[in-house]
Amino acid sequence: MSATDWLILALRVLIPLGVILTVVPMLGWAERRGAGLIQDRPGPNRVGPFGLLQLPVDAVKFFFKEDVIPTKSDRVLYVLAPGIAVFSALTTFAVIPYGASLPVAGRDIPLIGAELSIGVLYVFALTSLSVYGIVLAGWASNNKFSLMGGLRSSAQIISYELAMTTAAAGVILSSSSLRLPDIVSAQERLWLGFFPRWNVVPQFLGFVVFFVSTFAETNRVPFDLPEADAELVGGYHTEYSAMKFAMFMMAEYVNIVVACALTVTLFFGGWSLPGFHPQGVGGAILSILIFSAKTLFFVLVFIWVRWTLPRFRYDQLMRIGWKALLPLALVNLLWVAGLITMRWL
Amino acid sequence: MIGSIPLGDVLLASGALFTIGLAGALLRRSAISIFLSIEVMMNAANLALIGYGSAMGTREGQIIVFFIIAIAAAEASVGLAIFVALFRHKETIDVNKINLLKW
Amino acid sequence: MTMERLVFDGAAALTILFAGLMVVHPHPVKSVLAVVVSFFGLAVCYVMLSAPFIAAIQVIVYAGAILVLFLFVLMLLNVGEETREREPRPIQRWLSAVALLVFSGMLLGLLRAYGASAPRSLPAVSGDIAPLARLLFSRYLLPFEALSILLLAALVGAFVLAQREKSS
Repeated sequence: MSATDWLILALRVLIPLGVILTVVPMLGWAERRGAGLIQDRPGPNRVGPFGLLQLPVDAVKFFFKEDVIPTKSDRVLYVLAPGIAVFSALTTFAVIPYGASLPVAGRDIPLIGAELSIGVLYVFALTSLSVYGIVLAGWASNNKFSLMGGLRSSAQIISYELAMTTAAAGVILSSSSLRLPDIVSAQERLWLGFFPRWNVVPQFLGFVVFFVSTFAETNRVPFDLPEADAELVGGYHTEYSAMKFAMFMMAEYVNIVVACALTVTLFFGGWSLPGFHPQGVGGAILSILIFSAKTLFFVLVFIWVRWTLPRFRYDQLMRIGWKALLPLALVNLLWVAGLITMRWL
Repeated sequence: MIGSIPLGDVLLASGALFTIGLAGALLRRSAISIFLSIEVMMNAANLALIGYGSAMGTREGQIIVFFIIAIAAAEASVGLAIFVALFRHKETIDVNKINLLKW
Repeated sequence: MTMERLVFDGAAALTILFAGLMVVHPHPVKSVLAVVVSFFGLAVCYVMLSAPFIAAIQVIVYAGAILVLFLFVLMLLNVGEETREREPRPIQRWLSAVALLVFSGMLLGLLRAYGASAPRSLPAVSGDIAPLARLLFSRYLLPFEALSILLLAALVGAFVLAQREKSS
């Protein structure tokens, strides 16, 4: 493999992976400082400047903690479950375009892990697989609370998957393609010369449904009853300690980053800005920065919502998913179909 | 992207999968395991359909498999509802014990 | 022996291996998990046969929804291992073995007889989704709409069947 091939491998695979794995501890820090800000208290500020070293220190602590595997648990599945959760969270990022094409040594490298013809469907397939991580964790722990928490959590995820997929179907319909680079390109054009054709404007309902569903998919407040501390002891990760627990937490944060990146790509134009046509290496780097800024904004919204809203009861949660969000997503689909028929889109 | 895969390979895989599913349906006693084996048999048929569809150069095979998967979803939900109702009454899903309609 | 054929053979072997594990393992939950891996291998086979859409549908619907439903039912009903308290009558085992042998023989015979006239190798069909959708919404529109009615019927049926009896 030549130097160019290594560079392409790094750009398309290694760098996104490395960036996500580095962002996750920063996200943990941002969460705790943000919590402090909202709750009018300092947050971690003793370990390193502004508490920045708190998360690396926590990681070291997790690494050295005693790894307890309950005796009557199913050992293979117990160890496998956090792995499945992290795996499905990380591989989802492979299809998200995080920048414009980068010209290197005469070739244009698309800044995306894999350009699949099925694009968005790949993301939903991996979301379906992430359910197994949770169900297996709950069942393999040999603990009634874990089992109930695991079943509730997975029922929640598969219910909100429907609303999420139907909201995304509106975007797929307006972009006439399942491929995420095509969806980004469809949002690059302008209305009336200056307004970007971001999908959030004609499909605002779809955006709301999608964004709320991602909260439920990532088990975040206000939909985090299955893993809330005061409720089911800890839900599916009750019996997990040390590194495996850390892997579940990491999977949750990676899911948040990926969900925000997906929202940005589907509804807010991905790496594009109105009137900005990226040229060459500088343009590509600028597009990466734009994408990162947009994703960061939504991640901060996730953190903001967590420390602001109370959580839903489980039956309220399921009712919202089936009786409110799914019909709204279907209405959005009809609306988009109508817009396309009238040639306004 | 996709090169050529000999049809013989596809059919052999499909046949072996079907035979294994048949063995499971004949030899297992739990009703859910029998149902699972039937699903495996259906997937073996799906593989053969897609293999032939690809061999003929059309997409009809994929369309038919699309319908089969949707029908399998409907059938699985109704079948599992039946099992749940059955279990509530008989406390078992061993098919040797569910024999009220036997001669 | 091209790379594609190698990947296909590997995925098919994985599928068959885990399907075999499903048949052999006594605990139903482990069986279902073996089938999940098996279906995932099948999805890889579909991708190799130029059917990426069906591969995605297989993972989303079959491995990600139907088998999760199986797991839910198994976990909620707390179905244990298949006990060997009473051996099935030996005649059942013998008849099953005979049936399997006959069936395998038929299958191999058919493959040998008609396999010669089958296309030697598969020409490449492109993995585009748009032609598939066009076909689905033009020639196969009626089955598509009928399918939605079927799913509605299944939904209502499952709901009615799983209801607890009202104690009157």
